[in-house]
Amino acid sequence: MGKISTLLDEVAEADIKNVEVNYRGIFQKTLARKICKTLVYAAKEEERTGFSYGRYSDAPERNGVPCKYFAVVAEMSEEDLEAEAGAKIEPNDVNVSIVVDDTMVKGVEPWGFSGIRPINEKVKLGGTLLVVSERSPLELLKNVAKKDFPYKIAVVPGKHSFSGLWVYKDDFTDARVLGALARIEPDIVGLEALRKVVPEKLGAEKIDALNDGYKSVIIKSIAPGEGIDWPYSIPTLPKWHEFKEGIVVKSVARGGRNEDYKRFTTRTMRPVIRFDTCIKCDLCWYACPDECFDPTPDGLFDVNYNYCVGCGRCAEVCPVPNTIVMVDELKFENNDSPYHEYKKDKEAYIEWADQKMGEKRVNYPFVTGTGLIEENVKKNDGEKG
Amino acid sequence: MTVVEGKLVESQKEELLTGCEAVAHAVMLADVDVISAYPIRPYTEVMDAVSKLIADGKFFAEYIIADGEHSQFEIVKHASAVGARVFVGSSGTGWMYAMEAIAVTASDRLPVVALVGNRALDDPGAFGVEHNDALTVRDLGWLLVWASTAQESLDTTLIAYRVAEDPKVMFPTALAMDGGFLTHSQHMVRIPSQSLVRKFLPAYNLGDRRLHPDNPISIAPQVNEDWVMEIRMQNAEATKRVPAVIDKAYREFEDVFGRELGNPWLEEYMMEDAELAIVGMGTLAMPAKAAVKRLRSRGTKVGLVRPKWFRPFPTELMQKVLSRVSAIGVVDRDFSYGSPYYGGVLFNEIRSTLYSSKNHPTIANFIAGLGGREISIADMIKMIQLTYEAEEEGKDGQVKWMGVRE
Ligand code: SF4
Ligand code: SF4
Repeated sequence: MGKISTLLDEVAEADIKNVEVNYRGIFQKTLARKICKTLVYAAKEEERTGFSYGRYSDAPERNGVPCKYFAVVAEMSEEDLEAEAGAKIEPNDVNVSIVVDDTMVKGVEPWGFSGIRPINEKVKLGGTLLVVSERSPLELLKNVAKKDFPYKIAVVPGKHSFSGLWVYKDDFTDARVLGALARIEPDIVGLEALRKVVPEKLGAEKIDALNDGYKSVIIKSIAPGEGIDWPYSIPTLPKWHEFKEGIVVKSVARGGRNEDYKRFTTRTMRPVIRFDTCIKCDLCWYACPDECFDPTPDGLFDVNYNYCVGCGRCAEVCPVPNTIVMVDELKFENNDSPYHEYKKDKEAYIEWADQKMGEKRVNYPFVTGTGLIEENVKKNDGEKG
Repeated sequence: MTVVEGKLVESQKEELLTGCEAVAHAVMLADVDVISAYPIRPYTEVMDAVSKLIADGKFFAEYIIADGEHSQFEIVKHASAVGARVFVGSSGTGWMYAMEAIAVTASDRLPVVALVGNRALDDPGAFGVEHNDALTVRDLGWLLVWASTAQESLDTTLIAYRVAEDPKVMFPTALAMDGGFLTHSQHMVRIPSQSLVRKFLPAYNLGDRRLHPDNPISIAPQVNEDWVMEIRMQNAEATKRVPAVIDKAYREFEDVFGRELGNPWLEEYMMEDAELAIVGMGTLAMPAKAAVKRLRSRGTKVGLVRPKWFRPFPTELMQKVLSRVSAIGVVDRDFSYGSPYYGGVLFNEIRSTLYSSKNHPTIANFIAGLGGREISIADMIKMIQLTYEAEEEGKDGQVKWMGVRE
């Protein structure tokens, strides 16, 4: 039986295509699920087999926490495909990693003891990181870990979408992403097959959005070594005899914070604070559900961005207009203490904060109900006129 | 087939469904009357799916949300006693919390059908698959079956009603499904038509055991030692009638729906001329098949045996199938602290089964995949290799934990 040991190295996945969708827990689950299910139906249309599954370890899902959904397709029998790729927590690697909220490119920390992981962790050689974003691939790359092999970053223009969450109107991100996918990896799913299944599975009104996604996707090749050195380490979990009996783990000391689970990758926006207009009322400190505010000696409240989940509660309760404003997370480079920056140079900080807050506060560029970007609608209208 | 054209098309309808959604469809097709629910993952997925079918107006049933699992199982027990076809389910510690009601349901011979979404028994807080929860009813009179695919989950749910409600049986039946890997994974499932299901599944009829003012009976009075031995004996004898009913149900399923289900009791994969068999239940059959296929392509004579029905246990069949090989690796997704050899539950059942066989294969045991830990194809190949080694080194009864950080 000596032969078997060499086989261990040969356990290579057969010709199976894996796609993952990185999504924000609860808010984007329906969206992720729709993308994966429609993909499998389209594969079936092309006489291939497939299945889809959510990463069960993400459960119970919490608002905004980065989660994953998967679709697997191949040209083999269902039994063979399930044998090769079924009963897994997640695929070993993926051909395409879809990101339906571009702020997740800063890293994803799905649960405690997992560490903050690069968004392109699972992208395989020659694969693609496909992001729904208003930014260019190179701008996104400023946050993405370097890999030692070539791959691609693609962008399908759009804003992080809540479509699928019942209280929000659908902006057709599902169809746009699938259109982009057909352009990037026609081997995974063809545009023709999608055109056949999208009307039934997602709605006839989404065909234009599908075509628009196909047309508007921007693809950029990324060379080995392009990207950043990943600043976070992945924790090593203890061996079975290395922790206390009775399921006892070390807890957070009084006044401390959990070093093993920082949670900031949950955030799409962060609160920017104008300390100069703050009236020291302490409402933000009191209201923050994650206890992110620390009182300072001069009566202000510093915010710890390592733990802020971006829920917006502090901005909501602050009684002074424009003193706490929620701002797109991708506008920031680090989680440093804003209070320290303010103390260092007040004027520079105020100018910086004002510039980050900008004029427009929340901006949805999509025209609800068409799935098309406003500019495109204008252009089309112009051509028609 | 004698079905009219329209119905034939309907009977071939295929949808991408999770294992739990597949079960929910079977519950709808079985025209269940009363469902009681209380959330605990992964069972929650089926509770959601059933309530959605009801909310969408596709399915009419009494859907009762209980205040906890104990009441949840009491509700269906009573509903079943008055003649309602019922569906219930739970997972992990939720199932344990309902144990008093679960135990008496079997003694009272009420054909409740339950889904057990296999889940680790917390503590610690964990949701992944472990088979210990469902296995706790193995001595109580519950029929216990493991599915490994979404299609099998739908099919087995229909079969479960048919078997449980057979007048010769009348035992509650639990369908166990691996939490996450099966309950939450979406696969193409063929959904049979209502008319074919009606053909396969007769109406639930308790006969003169039905609790009704016109039929004055009392169920389970206080009896003390005067009666208990006889009651237990009666139930024990009844379990012996189950295998023939299961066999018949599978054959008729194939006739009615025109689909092959294979052996009801266990799946044999590449077992012809096998020298070594790997044995395990549920979705671990998936990586096991891939491992077996790879090794077969290199000339290693290995196969997989996947038991489906654990209660009643197919003793003779298991003996027949497994005494053909010289080494067996039993993979338990459960633990049984302090048991013989400190091994798993399935391992000790199979060892006991093979004691009276002339050929005594070497039996190795692996405890793997607890709490939803993934069992990879490489892990499976490793287990096969270790089984060969156990045979060569004469280490019968060896138990190893796989995939543990050590
Ligand atoms: S947005 Fe404000 S309230 Fe919400 S977690 Fe961050 S600091 Fe706390
Ligand atoms: S709520 Fe606004 S005004 Fe009040 S302490 Fe916080 S930042 Fe200052």
